[in-house]
Amino acid sequence: MQNSQRRRPAILVQLADLFLIQLSNWRWSWRSALIVGTAAPLGSIVALGIFARSAGPEALAYVLTGNMVLSLMFENLDKVCSNFSYMREVGTLNYFATLPIQRCMLVLATVLAFLTLSLPSLLVTLCLGSMILGVSLAPHPVILLVIPLAAIPLSGIGALIGTSTRNPQEASSISLLATLVLLGLGPVIVPPSRLPGIMLTLGRLSPATYAASALRQALPGPLTPRLWLDMAVLAGLSVVIFWLVGLKMDWRQQ
Amino acid sequence: MVVYDIRDLVKIYPGQTTPANRNITLQIEQGEIFGLLGDNGAGKSTLVRQMVNLVRSTSGSITLFGQPIQRDPLFVPMNVGYMPQDGLALNNLTVDEALFFTSHLRGLSRADANRERDTLLDLLQMRELRSKIIPRLSGGEKRLLQIAIALASNPPVLILDEPTNNLDPQRRKLVWETLRRRNRENGTTIIFITHDAIEAEKVVQRVGIMREGGLVALGKPSELKALVDKKLRLELFFSPDTPPCLPPTLPCRKLDAGRWLVLLEWDEMMPALNRLDLSQLDDFRLYSATLEDLYLHYAKQSA
Repeated sequence: MQNSQRRRPAILVQLADLFLIQLSNWRWSWRSALIVGTAAPLGSIVALGIFARSAGPEALAYVLTGNMVLSLMFENLDKVCSNFSYMREVGTLNYFATLPIQRCMLVLATVLAFLTLSLPSLLVTLCLGSMILGVSLAPHPVILLVIPLAAIPLSGIGALIGTSTRNPQEASSISLLATLVLLGLGPVIVPPSRLPGIMLTLGRLSPATYAASALRQALPGPLTPRLWLDMAVLAGLSVVIFWLVGLKMDWRQQ
Repeated sequence: MVVYDIRDLVKIYPGQTTPANRNITLQIEQGEIFGLLGDNGAGKSTLVRQMVNLVRSTSGSITLFGQPIQRDPLFVPMNVGYMPQDGLALNNLTVDEALFFTSHLRGLSRADANRERDTLLDLLQMRELRSKIIPRLSGGEKRLLQIAIALASNPPVLILDEPTNNLDPQRRKLVWETLRRRNRENGTTIIFITHDAIEAEKVVQRVGIMREGGLVALGKPSELKALVDKKLRLELFFSPDTPPCLPPTLPCRKLDAGRWLVLLEWDEMMPALNRLDLSQLDDFRLYSATLEDLYLHYAKQSA
């Protein structure tokens, strides 16, 4: 093999290869996807559904879509956080840094891989959750955009925690805390009428609020102009969070 | 042609006052096999991590093929295959996948990357490991895969941090043969770290010895040996049960049970051999100073 046969890999080649490399995380993640990404949201749906039934269909829709956000958090925020923290700990980031690839391609490939891996859990949560709660679904095609837009800023927060913390244990604790805080802030699982004003105000800063709102409109419906605001905020948050990840990530000398 | 040109390199890690390495100036020529020796903590790994752009230098400069390494972040990865000292990081891939993706991401086409993977599996005798997931490999097998990953796509420069750690003697031999062949046939420049001077002596063409962050010796082993120690070593082996019977004029020192060492000037060699009663000896060896002697000499200087 002669050196002259080598060319710098194209951006799409980098993205595809890194995506496939990161997709291989299914070899460890499928067990927790089954337990944490599916069973935990379904357990929460069953428990909260008991109380929400008396509050009407709106509350049931909040329980369903809020737990879909919970599933996305477990499978994207937490897993991406663990993955970056682990990669930093064991030297995988150094391995990638000695290959001719762009840093942003690694971040993007990781996020896309974990988004792909989270889809089965999300689908199971949606199908079984709607059956358990008796929520009728009217999925709009915009859901195909809403799901990635809901997951990507959550993954970005996971990547930020994973690259900023000192070790995997610290990363795991902080990501769990972040999951609980984002879930509790704002009308994610609980309708706004049941939340104090301060929570509603703070909830405006949380991507989970916009993700839950967008999922509610795209699945049980109805679609409102608010959806475009939700999607725009999620896209904006994605850009800001990924810019921060790029700043924080251990990488080659710049 | 100079491959690496390192000038006045200093690295002080944040929060530390003692430099990890200091004022290192070093040129490595194309096609060289260069060994970097030194005790643990001497600064060898920091130096090679600076050379592959994983650690930012506090001051000084490094150029690769005449280009400052920080100018284009993809220039070093396109030209240097690096094998780190620590364990293999690709914990979810099979051996096949790790070799394919590394080759492909280093710029080979899909077909060439597949061919390169098969070549490397044959070269390092890893065919039977190809479907194994990396965490299921033994320590030696992982090390072998790390070497294969560094070799993937045949970069013009290899930097290997303790490449034969954890390898059995047969695999060590295979690795050194493979590296020597790459150097001979492709002109690959090989820079490796070791603290096993005996092993390094088999392959190294030029050596740098590091101590407490500084480069304390640099040159061909023969030149450095001539500077340090010109004496010959006569090693004598007796049966451990039989007390050695040596001429009183031979100043010797016991190394082990049944193993004695005599240091000789060159002109003392023949008379000394003539005085020995070879029928009493199990065996003897005569050799000049080794790289290990050189290494120990510089290590002792620091104490």
